Amino acid sequence: MKPSTAHKVFGLLFGAGFGFVLAAANLHEYDTIHKMLRLEEFDVFLLMGGAIGTSLPLLWWLERRRTRTVLGGPLLLSRSKPRREHVIGGALFGIGWAVSGTCPAPALVMLVSGAGLAAVTIIGLFVGLNLRDAQVRRADGAATAADGEHRDIVRVP
Amino acid sequence: MVSTTFAAVLPDRLPWYFAGPALGLLVVGFFVIANQPLGATGAYVETYKTVTRAPGAVSWRMFYFLGIPIGGLVGVLLKEDGIVRRAGYDALRNELSLGTTAIIVLVGAVVMGYGARMAGGCTSGHGICGTAQRSPASWVATCTFMGAAVLTTLVIRVISGGAI
Repeated sequence: MKPSTAHKVFGLLFGAGFGFVLAAANLHEYDTIHKMLRLEEFDVFLLMGGAIGTSLPLLWWLERRRTRTVLGGPLLLSRSKPRREHVIGGALFGIGWAVSGTCPAPALVMLVSGAGLAAVTIIGLFVGLNLRDAQVRRADGAATAADGEHRDIVRVP
Repeated sequence: MVSTTFAAVLPDRLPWYFAGPALGLLVVGFFVIANQPLGATGAYVETYKTVTRAPGAVSWRMFYFLGIPIGGLVGVLLKEDGIVRRAGYDALRNELSLGTTAIIVLVGAVVMGYGARMAGGCTSGHGICGTAQRSPASWVATCTFMGAAVLTTLVIRVISGGAI
């Protein structure tokens, strides 16, 4: 398998796994997120804690062992210093999340679960992302350092 | 209400102590295989770039993007309720018309997308993958959006007289 094909196959599989867990844990339901943010239920906070509590020590250990990844060379974790974009962007994201009641990945599951308004959320997300991209392009700047998202170290066409 | 389901194999809600570690293992697995974080914002961005044939698009991210609803659909179909055709956003819809709800949700989503791109990640990207990499920027972004979301929800609750 060519590396780019392997990335596509594994991308599809891990996306499906991610979507499956989101659906299984009911994270695609507005009610679940709304009750969490109203501090009426703490399951989602515990879920996130469980995800971090599992992955953080494992990644730490794998990093110390200098693990080689299957497709992308030596395991490389990225750590950036906080900048004002992380705070302002984070605050805007939080405000929008509270209003729209679903974050980017669960919105996709919400749509296939039959909730028509999720299509509005997904369109809005694309608009918002592009507004920021256009603004960055106009300012001729680079996108914010992102340890959660795109990383250029292993770019595969 | 139209409902479609295969079989009620999954519980109505998988408990957090199964779902949380499962997400964590997916994140670790994707690092071990592809050396990449499993973030959704990046998937939206690269999907848009791939579809519009923008230069430098990372096209495999689109497959990840498409995988999320496919896996989600399987999960939904294995629940007792299955696919339920509805507008969604019940708490908003109980108080507001469909049109008003749609406008509010749209504005919220635009702000959310803008913020996620500015911060360089969302709940999955910063909230799980970034924090798990022990990135200070991700911890700051995550604490900020969690705090902002809880505060905003409180403000909405006060404005709506406790209804939403």
